[in-house]
Amino acid sequence: MRQRIVSLLAAGAAVALAGSWAGAAFADEKPILIGITTAIQVQVGRDCVDGAKLAIDEINAQGGVNGRKLQMAVADEGEAAAEGPKTGIAAVNKLTGEDHVDVLIGGYDSGVTLAELPHISRAKTIYLGIGSASPAIQQKVKDDYEHYKYIFRVNPINSAKQAKGLLDYITGMLKGELGYKRIAILGENAKWVQDMVPAMKTGAEAAGLQVPIAEFFDVQTADFSPIFAKVKESGAQYLMIILSHAASDVFVKQWYDAKVPVPIGGIDVKGQDANFFDRVGGKAISEVSTNFVLRAPLTPKTIPWWDSFVKAYNRAPVYTASGGYDAVYIYAGAAKRAGSTDTDAVIKELEKTDYMSARGRVQFDDLHEVKDGPGFVNELFVQWQQNGERKVIWPKDVANGKMIMPPWLVQN
Amino acid sequence: MAEILVYGAVISAIYAMLAVGFTLIFGVARILNLAHGSFYALGAYGVYALTADAHLPLFLAAPVAVLLVALFGVAVERVLVRPLRRSTLAVLMITLAVALMVEQVLLLIFGSEARNVPSMVNATFHVMGADVSGQRLLALSGAIVILSGLWFFMQRTRLGSAILAISQDAEAAQYMGIPSDRIYSLVMGLSAGIAAAAGVLVAPFQTVIPGMGLLPLVKAFAIVVVGGLGSIVGSIVGALLLGYTETIIAFKISIEWSQIVSVAAVLITLILRPAGFFGKRAAF
Repeated sequence: MRQRIVSLLAAGAAVALAGSWAGAAFADEKPILIGITTAIQVQVGRDCVDGAKLAIDEINAQGGVNGRKLQMAVADEGEAAAEGPKTGIAAVNKLTGEDHVDVLIGGYDSGVTLAELPHISRAKTIYLGIGSASPAIQQKVKDDYEHYKYIFRVNPINSAKQAKGLLDYITGMLKGELGYKRIAILGENAKWVQDMVPAMKTGAEAAGLQVPIAEFFDVQTADFSPIFAKVKESGAQYLMIILSHAASDVFVKQWYDAKVPVPIGGIDVKGQDANFFDRVGGKAISEVSTNFVLRAPLTPKTIPWWDSFVKAYNRAPVYTASGGYDAVYIYAGAAKRAGSTDTDAVIKELEKTDYMSARGRVQFDDLHEVKDGPGFVNELFVQWQQNGERKVIWPKDVANGKMIMPPWLVQN
Repeated sequence: MAEILVYGAVISAIYAMLAVGFTLIFGVARILNLAHGSFYALGAYGVYALTADAHLPLFLAAPVAVLLVALFGVAVERVLVRPLRRSTLAVLMITLAVALMVEQVLLLIFGSEARNVPSMVNATFHVMGADVSGQRLLALSGAIVILSGLWFFMQRTRLGSAILAISQDAEAAQYMGIPSDRIYSLVMGLSAGIAAAAGVLVAPFQTVIPGMGLLPLVKAFAIVVVGGLGSIVGSIVGALLLGYTETIIAFKISIEWSQIVSVAAVLITLILRPAGFFGKRAAF
């Protein structure tokens, strides 16, 4: 009997020991925590979260990174137009200070991201930007590498480079293909647009075009009829737009309803939403908007990735979905190569990134900025056509459709 | 020039609808209603939900939405405002709470993205050399019909006379047998209904988002300060003044500058003539 008790105790002790061992081993295997900070109320924010989740699920199904699973923590950055940067700063501080995430992925509004940077740098946490476009963000890496080496931009290409893409569209498509001589430029009054409009005006004029109107409007503007009247009066043949936070829905509806005799195109971030055409009752017809990803054979990964996103979420993705997805894979790849999540070691590996995404090949330059141009990530000019179908119309080498005009200009 | 005339008329008409309801409930019941913009937002969302979710035809959804918001206005007055009416500050706080609550509920139900309300008139008209969407012209004519109807109701009916009597001297009117509480509810419903009608009429060409009630409240407030708080004629004159000034600045200078007009008008009026153009005494 006594022997039985002793052996039972011994067995119990062994089990307890094994348990604590297993516990110790499990503690070592704590998941890699990925913090997402984005404007979750809007499509770009939701798609960033869903894109990242898709990548996390895929990586976990393949056994994780260095034997550790990936886990996600999300904090709402708020809508900048309504809330300013305070919600974004609180989100960063929560994810770094309370959740102790290994990496931050996100961003949408450049003003908010710029306000978050000192907090990210102080928390010494890697930040992979996937939505904000201001060049001022990555400029920090050049100005003060030691403090801002944590900051990378995976997506989109910065607004200065996007402006070059717009200029290429103006000179190549509008002047070259369509023979236009006068264009108007209209941008929302936001940080990322303020440098773009003057640069585009100068560039277009240097290319021999007249630019009678180059104006800003407040992001809260709800009535665009004065602008449309001015554009019409100026004799402009095309209206270049740069909108992200403004009410694109209303802009497009008022343009269509007033049958403004000038086609529109440029950057319209909300116009990139897959449901935008339906949301405005089809009034986006012929609007051109830049995009970075579309269901077209941009790289061997594009169509399979697009289809897997649609299968998982039952909707088409916007540009931040591929940004969120790619950022997780890029971080996971760097952590794998570094053999740990040690911040400095991962940064060194991130700098060597060479990753084929659905948007193009991703590499970073000295400013930790995603490279663009042939072979890398490109700015696509995509047009809403009949029945809400989208066609790439520029650059020429990746175009899969021809440009159409607004219906009221075709009839005339 | 033609565009300024036409677009200025449309915007002034919408402003007038907003301001008249705002000033009416103040003039009659001394309620400074900070939830007034919410009625406008609820009108727009009402017509959206009734067409997109309940699949009602647009011309049926519009009056149903207005009616529902008017009933909501009556409920707000009876349940929330009436017990607190003796304290101006408490009324301000409770109506502010209603405004915030409505915005949050809309955010929860519909999310923060803009919603599409289809146009009731799809054609574009050529008016005095300007291309104007049919929906804007409908908003203009709708506002004229509603405001004329209100004028007729106030001047030519017994109920209208009762409302005017209460606004002139509530105590004396009560002694004459006019049930003031019922009149207050009715006026709140009327005021909410007119704001909702403005929301319904502009929803097809404006932004339908949860926070859409704030700017109309600011405009209504500015207009009644300029026109004189409590004065219906003052509100209409104020709406024309503000609507046209904003439009002229938007067309001739920049739309960025047009937004400063209402704030500047309030400041100048409060300094030079605190009672407003048609007000009998300073309201603040």
